[in-house]
Amino acid sequence: MRPQLIFALIFAGLIGLSLVTGKIDPYYYTVIIFIGINITMATSLNLINGFTGQFSLGHAGFMGVGAYVSAIASTFLTTHGLGTEVMGGVPVMAIALLVGGLAAALTGLAVGIPSLRLKGDYLAIVTLGFNEIIRVIIQNVDFKIDGISYVGGARGFAVPQLSSFLWVFGIALVAIYFVENLINSTYGRGFLAVRDDEVAAEAMGVHTTRFKVRAFVIGSFFAGIGGGLFAHFIQYITPDNFTFLKSIEIVVMVILGGMGSTYGVILAAILLTIMPEALREFSEYRMIIYSLMLIVLMIARPQGLFGSETFTRFFAKRKAAANKV
Amino acid sequence: MTGLELQHVTMRFGGLTAVGDLNAVIEPTGLVGLIGPNGAGKTTVFNVITGVYSPTQGDVKFLGKSIKSLKPNEINQHGISRTFQNIRLFRGMSVFDNIRVSYAPRTNNKIIGSLLRMGGFYKEEKEVAMKIDRLLEFFNLSHTRDEQAISLPYGDQRRVEIIRALATSPKLLLLDEPAAGMNPTEKVNLMKLIRQLRDEFKIAILLIEHDMSLVMGVCEQIMVLDYGVKIAEGTPKQISENKHVIEAYLGEVVE
Repeated sequence: MRPQLIFALIFAGLIGLSLVTGKIDPYYYTVIIFIGINITMATSLNLINGFTGQFSLGHAGFMGVGAYVSAIASTFLTTHGLGTEVMGGVPVMAIALLVGGLAAALTGLAVGIPSLRLKGDYLAIVTLGFNEIIRVIIQNVDFKIDGISYVGGARGFAVPQLSSFLWVFGIALVAIYFVENLINSTYGRGFLAVRDDEVAAEAMGVHTTRFKVRAFVIGSFFAGIGGGLFAHFIQYITPDNFTFLKSIEIVVMVILGGMGSTYGVILAAILLTIMPEALREFSEYRMIIYSLMLIVLMIARPQGLFGSETFTRFFAKRKAAANKV
Repeated sequence: MTGLELQHVTMRFGGLTAVGDLNAVIEPTGLVGLIGPNGAGKTTVFNVITGVYSPTQGDVKFLGKSIKSLKPNEINQHGISRTFQNIRLFRGMSVFDNIRVSYAPRTNNKIIGSLLRMGGFYKEEKEVAMKIDRLLEFFNLSHTRDEQAISLPYGDQRRVEIIRALATSPKLLLLDEPAAGMNPTEKVNLMKLIRQLRDEFKIAILLIEHDMSLVMGVCEQIMVLDYGVKIAEGTPKQISENKHVIEAYLGEVVE
């Protein structure tokens, strides 16, 4: 079966599911939405960190750019005639997300071109620093158009509610589809070659800097869209939503899922969103237990939940091993 | 038209002259051996040709054009491809995917085509797979197609590296110690293979090798480097009788 068909089927399933989301307890609904957003964030970071091997610690920065720019777009549009009443708010949200994603992608390009010449730890530090720069810039921006406050600096920015189950998971599906298609093509093997051996990749004609920048821009684009979904769901964003702690949270998902395994990363995004919530009954011990679980998981499976295996190959191997015994 | 031309190439690292004033010409279908004792600067010559280093002095010309200031990936696009002394296969990939990387910078379906899978995407992927399978068959490696490249025996890994280099459709192929780590049978087969490659693909081959019988048996022309300087050049017969070479390198081999 061609991937298009599988993804179309899943999308149909999502539409069906979206009809019953109104009946879910709001708390669980919130957790489910965060799972969807985290899947988009982790899948897109996996393209940069996992598949291309460039250790970025600034993903929350791009998420922040996307969140704020899309929020500015939607606030402007809803107060200038294209409100939520027009076609259920779909056009506003689509434009806002696209603008947010493009802004994040452009930022990714601007950050990527100079910093992707660096390797390993240096790149991590530069992206981390960039994340903080974005946050500080947002903290100091505040302007009004027609009497309505935009961005709001450290105070925060009120955003119209436009996200929904279908938006969040629809976008997650698109992100997965894009990353998987890209990686599993001949062109996409260039990204993996950059990760595995830059010298050999260059000797085979792969323009390594160009591949790195492209991975960075595509990853940032989806991070920006993820930010847009986030902003339009929680309806009030502050710069503190996008600190480097958020970046690290996403990096942990990528590492735990297995660098370079889309399905492992999805599973890790689900697990790591649910775990802190499920541990709430332990109140003050929550983060200790959470950290301990992470340590145990990393010791037990240092290669990540799935390693670099794909979903089908992972189970095919299990089956083959079971048949042998 | 000459193939590769090295004109007064000098490569210095600080006070050390790794290659000094090297002049050489390789014809479009030449089969040339580059030999010399350890540390003679052979691999440095490869690195200068493929753009890993930019020569301190002199010029490198390929098909009449200067390539000395180009980057390694651009030089590869000009038709020079190489293998590495310390095998550099892509660790996370199968044999098939290792070779597929060589087509990554040469596909018509780049980002948009791959994302949307339109514009003859599947047709092109099928063509690439066919080309790879044909190369694997030529090297008798079809059975390893889906195995992890780094899990293969040493000799097979070297051959996969040669295929990967060939997949970029080079006009000049540089082989850095292709027989290292191979047993005598593998070496004999490799000799035949290298000649076959040249005849089949109509390319020039420059190879670094320590195994004298291999170099003497397969190459039509041999260059000898010692301390970065070319001390002799000629046919295998001439080289084996050359006094300087015997002193520097072959000493005990030729009685």
